[in-house]
Amino acid sequence: MGEGAAEQDDKAGRTQGQREGQRRFAQWVRDYSRLPGIPDEFLGPDGVPRAVWSRFFDAFGALAPDEIERRFGMADRHLREAGVTYRAPGDSADRPWSISHLPLLIDEADWKQLCAGITQRADLLERVLGDIYGEGRLVAEGALPAAAIAGSPEYLRPVCGVPPPGGRYLSLYAADVGRGPDGRWWVLGDRTQAPSGAGYALENRLVLSRAFSDLYKSMNVPRVAPFFEAFRDSLRARADRDEPRIGVLTPGSFSETYFEHATLARYLGFLLVEGDDLAVSDNRIHIRTVAGLKRLDVLLRRVDSNSLDPLELDASSHLGVPGLIDVLRKDGVVVANMPGSGVLEARALLGFLPALSRRMLGEELKMPHIATWWCGQRVAREEVLSRLDEVAIEGAYRGGVPGFGSSGPVLASELDASDRKRLVDAITTRGMDYVGQEVVRLSTMPVWERGQITPRPFVLRVFAAATPDGWAIMPGGFCRIADQPDARAVSMGDGARAADVWVVSDKQVATAATLLPATDKVRIRRIAGVLPSRAADNLFWLGRYLERAEATLRLVRALGSPSGPNKGTAASLQSAERIQRLLVAWGATSQTSRMAAGRIVAEALQSEARSGSALSLVRAAQRTATSLRERLSPDAWQVITEMAERLAYEVEGDDSVLSAAELTLQELASFAGLAQENMNRAAGWRFLDIGRRTERAINTTRFTRQFAYDEAGDEDLDILLTLVDCQITYRSRYLLAPILAPVRDLAVLDPYNPRSVAFQVAALNEHIAALPSLKEHGLIEKPQRLAVAMQAMLATAEAEKLEVKTLFALEQDLLSLADAIGQHYFPHGPNASRPEKLTGLA
Amino acid sequence: MIYDIRHVTTYEYGSPVSVARCTLRLEPRTGNGQELISHRVEIRPRPSERNVRRDFFGTLTESVVIEAAHGNLRIDSRSRVAVSRRPPARDASSPSWESIRDIALEATSLGPSSPVGYVFASPLVPVLPPLSAYAGMSFAPGAGILAGAVDLMHRVRTEFRYDPKATVISTPLGEVFDKRHGVCQDFAHVMIAGLRGLGLPAAYVSGYLRTIPPPGQARLQGADATHAWVSLWCGAELGWVDFDPTNDLLIGDDHIVLAVGRDFSDVSPVDGIIVGSPKQKLGVAVDVLLVE
Repeated sequence: MGEGAAEQDDKAGRTQGQREGQRRFAQWVRDYSRLPGIPDEFLGPDGVPRAVWSRFFDAFGALAPDEIERRFGMADRHLREAGVTYRAPGDSADRPWSISHLPLLIDEADWKQLCAGITQRADLLERVLGDIYGEGRLVAEGALPAAAIAGSPEYLRPVCGVPPPGGRYLSLYAADVGRGPDGRWWVLGDRTQAPSGAGYALENRLVLSRAFSDLYKSMNVPRVAPFFEAFRDSLRARADRDEPRIGVLTPGSFSETYFEHATLARYLGFLLVEGDDLAVSDNRIHIRTVAGLKRLDVLLRRVDSNSLDPLELDASSHLGVPGLIDVLRKDGVVVANMPGSGVLEARALLGFLPALSRRMLGEELKMPHIATWWCGQRVAREEVLSRLDEVAIEGAYRGGVPGFGSSGPVLASELDASDRKRLVDAITTRGMDYVGQEVVRLSTMPVWERGQITPRPFVLRVFAAATPDGWAIMPGGFCRIADQPDARAVSMGDGARAADVWVVSDKQVATAATLLPATDKVRIRRIAGVLPSRAADNLFWLGRYLERAEATLRLVRALGSPSGPNKGTAASLQSAERIQRLLVAWGATSQTSRMAAGRIVAEALQSEARSGSALSLVRAAQRTATSLRERLSPDAWQVITEMAERLAYEVEGDDSVLSAAELTLQELASFAGLAQENMNRAAGWRFLDIGRRTERAINTTRFTRQFAYDEAGDEDLDILLTLVDCQITYRSRYLLAPILAPVRDLAVLDPYNPRSVAFQVAALNEHIAALPSLKEHGLIEKPQRLAVAMQAMLATAEAEKLEVKTLFALEQDLLSLADAIGQHYFPHGPNASRPEKLTGLA
Repeated sequence: MIYDIRHVTTYEYGSPVSVARCTLRLEPRTGNGQELISHRVEIRPRPSERNVRRDFFGTLTESVVIEAAHGNLRIDSRSRVAVSRRPPARDASSPSWESIRDIALEATSLGPSSPVGYVFASPLVPVLPPLSAYAGMSFAPGAGILAGAVDLMHRVRTEFRYDPKATVISTPLGEVFDKRHGVCQDFAHVMIAGLRGLGLPAAYVSGYLRTIPPPGQARLQGADATHAWVSLWCGAELGWVDFDPTNDLLIGDDHIVLAVGRDFSDVSPVDGIIVGSPKQKLGVAVDVLLVE
């Protein structure tokens, strides 16, 4: 066939594809049933698709149905593999993130208007905060009712009169918006405390732009990276020294949005810290690191104000730093957003903003917000009571409606007579706790469901970052889609889906933006930052858990292998019992000695109930890795996730069990390889390796004691060689059946064998010598003293004269070394003494 | 009257404490019929840092850091105070409580003496509907604010049992109310919660009582420790009026005010965070002697 014919064929196929696409598009439009009386993003009031959506669906429809499903599957797989999760209040485990596969499209001109509204609002709110915590003129002159502020739990009395270090209250502001019936964007609420969602928006963008890269490019969607860059640079600029140290303060891995905290820390290059990692000294905030206290300049907080300082705020909080507020008074740390900024989230204030805008900015608000009447004022209260069935009642400050549960608005029309009376009484007596809000019908957008599109209400969160050149607005945002028709009830915890948000432009967008700094600003650096003690602690344990899992898998494999000790001879049975005893001692299996080998193997591999099973150990490693998310590469995280999934998957039959063990061992090796090849040789890698080497040295010593005892026969020695992975080395050196002294030498003393105890101890010595010294008295520190002594003993010992009691003493010394390392480098770990509240009625 | 006050707080720890950060609110106020003549605080072991400032409520607040390892902590506060007060009579006439509720919300100040700061729930004092209803029985429609509050105070005094063993600092207010027992701090919180439930501005006062009563009078409850009571805003004319529900009286010259706040958490005389010892034994000794 000639070239011309091929081209013609191709063209014919393309036009046919286009026709198919147009047919599908037309079908989607026909099947799209708008909710009655509610505006829609996709279809105009005339039922005709809007221009930006037409452009999108033209290209989208050209994809074959199975191709669409394939790409959606790709997006879901990416989210799962990257471990994107969130936690709803009360959850004990993370939930996978659920993304709606169609983005929300916003036309560029429309977006510009929205940005103007957000910018103006952010300016106004910053000024209002400055006045509330500063001069107080708005209240004194009657522009803001004092009670509307005093009632907010976020009105922080200890920071009244304290100028915000760095010069601003709001570094990051977000507004929840929706499109009202008049076609304009409406503000539903302000987020001034510690807005969440920016990190999830970033993740949504990564996933969707990858799954539909061609479509994404053709729509000229501006990237979100420049926004994050501007945000990071402005936080840096706010510190009072060059190269500032910045931390993301998280409540910890039980927090609903911990994944996001870790994502932001990693993406922005900040340290992820918890309150316990920080200490006040010399009127500054410091971070506890393996090299001692290091000054921290800026805190991007994801902990609510009231939990920040148990000395001056909520005394029961363990999430904060005692003395933090006093450091703010001394101008010693920049906190973003400034504690107390959350006071502006109060619904009670909404109704006063139009007048404040006229007064403080000299202009009308560009963007309307949902009409709100604060019942602390008589006129508004009477208005609300007279229209009780038309408005929604909400709490005036935050959380739910006092006396009516914790979530969502109360509609008087849905209450029975006694509850209705209770509501009227409550509003009459304590009106200041309530607002009435207009019930708004927000627009819907299309979501994909089983090959069709359906309209669903949504809320869009728009983010604005303060920069030296004004507010930078993230092009896009965090969109949540409701399952019910009331769009205001949308919250991540309600099983709602998220969607990416594309601002669609006619012009091509600049593609140069990344998070890399411009080259003229970069100072060459070879070692990255400091290692917080908590991260060192977690890395150490990650190394230990994985190594213990490996040892357990090797025991399981030795016991279950057809060429292993289950051949029925007396010696074999004894060897099998030794392995079993070890598994019992490690908590991998129960005590029943008459259990069939197959069941023991399965239990040691997969039991949820046994804390020492390979599954439990890998899960412990996974939990530890969760707290290290910002330090692990996505590949490393993925390997751990896959191991946990494989081991959790029930397998039957000896062969399958053995092959699961085999595959998991391979994955452990690939994790070790990733760490060895990809981690910087900084303190973090050292602690991971210290954990691994310590555990391996302990296990190998123990195996040697168990299987290379003074009277050990061929079979036991052979098992030891298998357990310490030295069969091939031994055979290439000795060409003999296993003999006690050479086997002991290889397993314990040989400094050239990477599996021997001596090799581990030498590596430990090298690590310890390279770590920072904390004391200045010049004396040798305990971890080093122990490691050096062990190395000397191993270097001078002779295999023929090695006694079991020496091995036992070595094992004890290794355990002491592990403790000494913990006490020395992470004294604030889980077993350390925590700050306590002085108790009693003093 | 002039009083010499000695207030000694001691903590004994089960094991040595390496770092302590304390907040002290031990200086009696000046104002509202009271004048501070002298004040001194000694701390052992000696702190490495001492910082003094006035907090939001106007209380002199000292932040102290002790970095030497220590097995016990002793804070010895001595003050001399002159007191001369004229409380209103229990049956004096006063504006209706509903008018106070409405006027309080119209205040145009967020300052510490503005009533708006004291009508809302605070960290230790939630608004509890049953407690609000309990308080409501003392406030008939149109009743004077003073008469209502005196009646509520009397009911707390007679219907609650004073029992130092019944509650600890962390006992929730709902439980205190259900079981109708507690100490001065609990009674003050109960009365405050009731008043706020009706929309009335009520503050918490910490302070002292004279140890030896005037001749012929009984010794008041709570005289050997720090005491607590309630301050209620009764309108522009009467201002803030103090009620002692533990002893059923409007305070006069026997009470010395240390600090005023929304509840105990704003005014606790000694507060802090230590690193090292979960076991603590607290001792508080107060002596209030009449000088002249």
